[in-house]
Amino acid sequence: MRRLVSLTIALVPLAGCAGTGEDTSELTVFAASSLSAAFTDAIGPAFEAEHEGTTVVFNLAASDALAGQIQSERTADVFASASGTWMDAVQDDPGVSDRRDFVQNLLVIITPPENPAGIGSIDDLANEGVQLVLAAEGVPVGDYSREALGKAGIANEAEANVVSNEEDNASVVAKIASGEGDAGIVYESDISAAAGNDVVAVEISDDVNVIATYPIAVVTGAPNADLAEEFLAFVTGPDGQATLEEYGFTPVT
Amino acid sequence: MRSRTPLPLWILAGAGLVCVSLPVVALVLRAPWDDIASSLRGAGASEALRLSLVVSLTATALSLLLGVPLAWILARSRIPGRSVLRAIVVLPIVLPPVVGGIGLLAALGRGGVVGQWLYSTFGLQLTFTTWGAILATTFVSMPLVVLATEAGLRSIDRRYEQAASALGASPRYSIRRVVLPMLGPQLAAGAVLAWARALGEFGATITFAGNLAGRTQTLPLAVYETRLSDPGGAIFLSLILVVLSIAVLVAMRDRITRAR
Repeated sequence: MRRLVSLTIALVPLAGCAGTGEDTSELTVFAASSLSAAFTDAIGPAFEAEHEGTTVVFNLAASDALAGQIQSERTADVFASASGTWMDAVQDDPGVSDRRDFVQNLLVIITPPENPAGIGSIDDLANEGVQLVLAAEGVPVGDYSREALGKAGIANEAEANVVSNEEDNASVVAKIASGEGDAGIVYESDISAAAGNDVVAVEISDDVNVIATYPIAVVTGAPNADLAEEFLAFVTGPDGQATLEEYGFTPVT
Repeated sequence: MRSRTPLPLWILAGAGLVCVSLPVVALVLRAPWDDIASSLRGAGASEALRLSLVVSLTATALSLLLGVPLAWILARSRIPGRSVLRAIVVLPIVLPPVVGGIGLLAALGRGGVVGQWLYSTFGLQLTFTTWGAILATTFVSMPLVVLATEAGLRSIDRRYEQAASALGASPRYSIRRVVLPMLGPQLAAGAVLAWARALGEFGATITFAGNLAGRTQTLPLAVYETRLSDPGGAIFLSLILVVLSIAVLVAMRDRITRAR
């Protein structure tokens, strides 16, 4: 019993720490999970290096989940969304300022290294017997994939080839990297961010590709609005854009 | 006895009951009952239910077929390292199912240790097939059969078998006519637990077999996929699972308690 009490006492200060978001040098960035690698490995450390004494805290999740958290918790300084839809939601409540599109993501076909089904273009996804893995409908990349297949005029043939509807981009990559599926469709950033993944990319031509545009903004009521402005300037500036390009994103020009 | 139950116990027990039942009650309250018909149709409920029954019942049968002999070896034979063997056999109970799924991929996927050979030699692929879903489900539910059966075997007085053999019964005859009948309640309990577990299986199935309506999308997977696009449909699918599971547990309650 005494041990339990002392443990409780030891935990109290920790719990206190989690609540102190007022520290002026801490910037809280809510970002879509597809930005994880680029933001946590490169953008965050680079921004901290440029701003002595600043800590950037990232909350990375699906954009729809982030929008909900921003509306209920109100602790975000910056919101970087994978789609305009969820930025619109945050713009309605609690509001945003300085909203701008900062990066784009293109769809790409991935195959296992040996490319067992001989996929050379999006049209090949209609070939009989191709085991196609897509993200499920309702998942942004899943909807975009179907839109691209529709533009290529092979919506029905490709849908008949689908062997699995995965819950997110990472699961699609995993199913292809392990060699289970013959082909999948994900974002370009999914495969360059996971450079260790054993997949081969097959480009989707511009006329049928679907481009996801990412908006970023300062959230109204941001505890640290000035720093948030600087973060936006950094991400949209030449260094930030070059870094994002390294991680497979297409800069907005 | 009941009158002597202290009040704090009642309060804590009540809190425990609320903790367990509140989510289910909330599902019932939140279900959009007005559009139940269209919701069920839209969410592909009948297809997912049919597949769930096929997968869970086949997995239960496989669990019995393979798990009972395993339990027999664990309970009766004098092999070395038996406790390690038992730990390996029941591991899936404590393992996160997604880990089981990754392991199954590494073993039996198209590029897996054994799966590679199955695919290149026989053209046999388990991933993305109903058999893949059955295999993943068997992986998580078989240990429950093994545990229940082994406990049952240990509780049977071996003198019955000795008597049978003294009276001239072959070992096979005495298993069939003496041991198995006495083991009945334990077997039933193991089978029910395995079936209930199989009905709810999610992680190993989606990781190993993928998610495709009519082929590998069982009820839990259908719930997961529809929860974003059609929250109402997801609630009805969940309620189907709840009703099925409660029916299984209530119907077999007597058998389980009798076995204990």
